[in-house]
Amino acid sequence: MTAQPGSLRWRVLLVLALAAIVPTIVVGVLAIIRTRADVQNEVRRGALAHIRALGAALDGTLQDSRRTVELAAATWADAPDDPRQTQLLLARLRRDVPIVQSLSVVDPDGILKYGDPVPPGADIGSHSFGGYVGDAVRIGGKPVVQLVVQARGRTGELMGAFIATLDLSFVRDLLATARLGEGARVVVVDGKGVPVATSDGAPIGMASLAGSDPAVDRALGSSIEGTLSADGTISAYRNLSGYQSLRGVRWAILHQQPEDEAYALARRTTRDTLIVGGVALALALALGGWMATRLTRPLAALARRADAIATGHAEAGPPIEGPGEIGVLGQRIDEMAKRISERHELQSALARGDRLASVGVMSAQVAHEINNPLTTVLGYAKLLQEDKPDDHPDRAGLELIAGEAERMKGIIGGLLEYARTPRGSDAMIGPGKSAELATPTSDPAQVVRHVGALLGPLLQKSKARLATDVQATAPLAIDAHALQQVLVNLVQNAAQAMAGGGTITIGVTKAPGGIATLITVSDEGPGVPAKDRARVFDPFFTTKAAGVGTGLGLAVCKHLVATAGGSIEVGDGPGGRGAEFRLVIPNA
Amino acid sequence: MTKRWLAICAAFVASAACGGGQPSGPPPIRFLHTFSPAETELVNRYLDERGLAVEASLVPFARGQQVIGEILKSGASCPDVIRIDATWLPGLRQQLSPHAAQLDPAAWTPEALALIGPERGLALPQTVDGLIVVRDTATPAPASPSIDDLVVAARAAKTVDRPHPLGVRVDGYWFVPWLRAQQADLAVEAIAGDGATTALRAFASLFGDVASPPPPLGGETPDELRRWRSHGVAYWITGPWQLGALEDPGRVAVSPLAGAPRGGQLLVVPACATQAQRGWELAEELTSDAMQTLFAQTFSTIPTRTAALAAAPPVSRAAAEALRTAQMLPRAAVTPLLFDDLNPALAAVVAKDATPEEAIEGVRRGWARLTRRPR
Repeated sequence: MTAQPGSLRWRVLLVLALAAIVPTIVVGVLAIIRTRADVQNEVRRGALAHIRALGAALDGTLQDSRRTVELAAATWADAPDDPRQTQLLLARLRRDVPIVQSLSVVDPDGILKYGDPVPPGADIGSHSFGGYVGDAVRIGGKPVVQLVVQARGRTGELMGAFIATLDLSFVRDLLATARLGEGARVVVVDGKGVPVATSDGAPIGMASLAGSDPAVDRALGSSIEGTLSADGTISAYRNLSGYQSLRGVRWAILHQQPEDEAYALARRTTRDTLIVGGVALALALALGGWMATRLTRPLAALARRADAIATGHAEAGPPIEGPGEIGVLGQRIDEMAKRISERHELQSALARGDRLASVGVMSAQVAHEINNPLTTVLGYAKLLQEDKPDDHPDRAGLELIAGEAERMKGIIGGLLEYARTPRGSDAMIGPGKSAELATPTSDPAQVVRHVGALLGPLLQKSKARLATDVQATAPLAIDAHALQQVLVNLVQNAAQAMAGGGTITIGVTKAPGGIATLITVSDEGPGVPAKDRARVFDPFFTTKAAGVGTGLGLAVCKHLVATAGGSIEVGDGPGGRGAEFRLVIPNA
Repeated sequence: MTKRWLAICAAFVASAACGGGQPSGPPPIRFLHTFSPAETELVNRYLDERGLAVEASLVPFARGQQVIGEILKSGASCPDVIRIDATWLPGLRQQLSPHAAQLDPAAWTPEALALIGPERGLALPQTVDGLIVVRDTATPAPASPSIDDLVVAARAAKTVDRPHPLGVRVDGYWFVPWLRAQQADLAVEAIAGDGATTALRAFASLFGDVASPPPPLGGETPDELRRWRSHGVAYWITGPWQLGALEDPGRVAVSPLAGAPRGGQLLVVPACATQAQRGWELAEELTSDAMQTLFAQTFSTIPTRTAALAAAPPVSRAAAEALRTAQMLPRAAVTPLLFDDLNPALAAVVAKDATPEEAIEGVRRGWARLTRRPR
């Protein structure tokens, strides 16, 4: 399954990998960036919304207190010299404004008239006691603001002032109720950057955060609100001074959260995206690998087939199947291989034919050379045999010599017969030859009758019966003697094959197309094994017992038929029993 | 391959290490100001664009004088430059640092130079403010800048749909033209005469006649803008600071108002500043032509430099022209404090809780108390 670099499968895998990786990475990165931006925006918006609500609550508490004190001051200014009414008023004011820590009433010159002693610094700046809520200060370590409200009478004249110290502990309590995210805190700082309260309840000191916390600097120096990322912390701030309807506290509220915590959702989303993307990528690659394998497998088979063809093994293998063009290509290569195989077989046949022709020529020469001395041997053997009485001890040997010599002459005769007729197309249409030869003809019916008569004794001896079925009588383009020799040979072979006897049938019918005649010779013998059918027409090939056949009969038959432009082949007999030789001979 | 990557990483780390230090430089300039939120944003952006390291801190305008006074008195966390109202300058004079450079009279408008007055060298003027009459372009201008002609014009503009065509606020600052029309002024000695009572009577009589009853305290600005946008007022006594909020500047025409008070905003450097020179440099940057032009184009403020005023929008130039006849408030440290007594008195008379005589008497007592107190 491994793909070698540079191979087609490697390249397909590479393309598929790129096609899978690039979109996955692009989509993944876009998703991560978008998610992170959305989360950041939501974090900022959420934090701002949080401190807006908290800031409004803080300011609302202070302004409500201020308005209540203003009402009390205005009421008092109408009867500033009534101690009893003043005490009742102050008592009710303390009840209505629970964050009041101390309450003083002074005359226009700042002299205490009622209530608690004036806290230090209460006559802040202006001796007119211009109504305002002062900055947050610490009294006894506790953050407070001092509220100065003018007490003006019906005519608007200043009758005195109410100075209230408001306990800012409620800020801490309010912040403690805030539902904050992981690691987040809300802090309120005064105009100098000193923390007034924090949501986590951490002790607050007198140290200012101004200069050390950029968000505090930004909050005090900016207008209304904003966000700031610095030192790994995302801060949302709101300068509460900026939207006070009247003179108010200089302070700011901040929501601060470590970015790691604030953007945890983005981080989880990033992680999930990476995991899902990785799994998707792995699946895509696995699927791509499977597809690449599926796609390249027929190509690899084609390559192997091409290699086999190139190395001379063009025999047909299993069909190469594949989708689309690859399947078509496989079919074409199969066809090409088949044609190459056929061509190879043809070339082999031609080579074998040439080889056989050479054997024939050589055999004829050998036969010619041997025939003369053999004739001498046979002649002398017969001469010596005539001189010896029947009981002479040498007679048996002489007869053996003569018999074997006769058999040798028979073989030589066959060889000479084999070599006598020109073989192959070259011989038939060779230059200067076809024009000189007259086309022989024969009457198939007559030849068949003659063969039956000629072989009658032999067949009778072999307990065989010859049946003929001549349905075509057109003259054939083959010499009658040659056709007779072929049929005699085939019938003899059939008779020898049927040791127990049987029927030999010669059929003569028109071949398909009408330009040739089909002659069949079938028997009821064991037939010719399939493995031998390609070789039975080779010279010297025989399945008979040694000394029984020369192995030249069918070779001679083939050459005689081929000489006439016909063909001969062997197959199973009718019904799959016995053998059947089929001759197709052109009509004359 | 690995070695090459290692070399690249090493070079990157080295460069990061070498270049990662914080740039050293002078500490940021500490700037205490009273800008509105929108103005603060513009200033911060302007400073950021110029790369000026400024640590700005906002002080609500209403408490500006008191907070700044406290800071300068204590000397702790002293700013390097402060934006103040011109009326605060006399009270802060002793705690300010002089500016070495003399102002070029040709570069600054006369009104700007008048803002500084005898304190020249202690401040740089940034904007000019004062009362003007803003009217619809379809409404005729009063025959003269006097308040009598203005009231006559307003009465003529009364209709069923517009019963109160004069926009005026129940505030001592708005009351000043009526005082001056009676040869009085926002001064302790001037309040003693009958003119103040007459002026207060005339002023209070406007409400319910040509001016609408005052809205609840703190709701003046939105009420005025709503009435202007709905064409409920034909003549609106207000300041240039409102012009930027008007939605259709093309509808706006500006007329002068006789006896109108004129003031403005200044940039000063306190004596306790640790970076006084840089404070003045920032003050010069914030009063530059570029900054004043930007402010005028954004908020229709009136520049104090002649070049910036020439480049200002028409409505700003018209407002500047209208303020030529306006007069500065008395230059006294106590002047800003006088309003604390004057404003409630006005409200009491307008609400008919007091007669003008009663109210003015209370003001006299209050102002007398202010003047006898050690400052």
